[in-house]
Amino acid sequence: MVKFYAASFSYDYSFPAVALAYFLRYPNPYSTHVLSTDVVERSFEPETGRLHTIRLHLKRSKIPPAVLKLLPKSILGASSNGTSTESYILEKSTVDIKEGWMETESRNLEWTGVLSVIEKQTYWRQSAGQGQGLASRSTTRRSDGQPDRTEVDSTVTLQSRLGEARRKRKRREAADRAAAVAAEETEEEIPKPSLWKTWSTGPVQRSIELIAFRRTEGSQPKAKEGMKVVLERLRQGGIVAVLDGMHKDHLESGRGSHGPWKEQLSQGTDTMVTIQHEGDGFLDQ
Amino acid sequence: MSSSLASECNEVKERYDSCFLKWYSEKFLPGKATKDECEPLFRQYKQCLEKALKERGIDDMLAAAREDNRENDAENMKPS
Repeated sequence: MVKFYAASFSYDYSFPAVALAYFLRYPNPYSTHVLSTDVVERSFEPETGRLHTIRLHLKRSKIPPAVLKLLPKSILGASSNGTSTESYILEKSTVDIKEGWMETESRNLEWTGVLSVIEKQTYWRQSAGQGQGLASRSTTRRSDGQPDRTEVDSTVTLQSRLGEARRKRKRREAADRAAAVAAEETEEEIPKPSLWKTWSTGPVQRSIELIAFRRTEGSQPKAKEGMKVVLERLRQGGIVAVLDGMHKDHLESGRGSHGPWKEQLSQGTDTMVTIQHEGDGFLDQ
Repeated sequence: MSSSLASECNEVKERYDSCFLKWYSEKFLPGKATKDECEPLFRQYKQCLEKALKERGIDDMLAAAREDNRENDAENMKPS
């Protein structure tokens, strides 16, 4: 069972601007739940001009109450006292500046048995007269005087494996028992079905995937808005403006939800969605 | 810039981040990069970070995830 979310959109900014904003997108007013970001690995290939990066983000996230209800207490363990938790996200990216594309992938490192979330994005430079899709990656520049654009294909794969390991073990144990019984040729009382046996996890997995899917639908547009804030700061004042903005966002994240940035944002042309400080989705950026 | 998960690495991370940002925006993005000029600083930062990851017990989880990633990559890179 897998749930799959897909969306395509474009930024009205050049590819280098988007490729820069990508590494500068935390913190932004939409991502104040991102607690830290570290570069785990980075390598530059002079031959291809590609840059590979692996980053580790620590995010504050909430287990949705609807999911919480579905989880057995044994899984929640020590964290069952609260729904707020910190989780690590591994983010991998490759930027090819010559060909004008960037591929990114993020995944959660914990709770993968309950829910695994893999988010992938492909960005590419859009040149004049080109169609959609990966086939349109090209090194040609726009010649029609139109503003630069960067296209994005985004997918999120959600999969719950809740109870699968346990079911496998149960099956193995049952098989072992049957073998033992056959070997000894003794009559043994048939074991009573355990709660786990009777409680079919299939529907629960589907429910968790569906809840996560709905939250993804809500969080993905916010990730895009966060990028736009960083891109707009870049356009207006370059890297210095981005760093200033970051500093403000960082200060704001420690305070209430009515910071000056909210005022600043509401003057923008985009319709603003409700800004939340806690991460709403599992991997929302 | 965003902070490190380990506060003791913040200083060296900031130095690396500044170097990277300058190189990335002035050399890499304009297509003029010939080598990663910030590698020495990255090595310092990485040394601090790896120690912190180990202390927090995150290194194993990270290694497992990256191994998984590599396997997927190998699978995806196969000619179709």
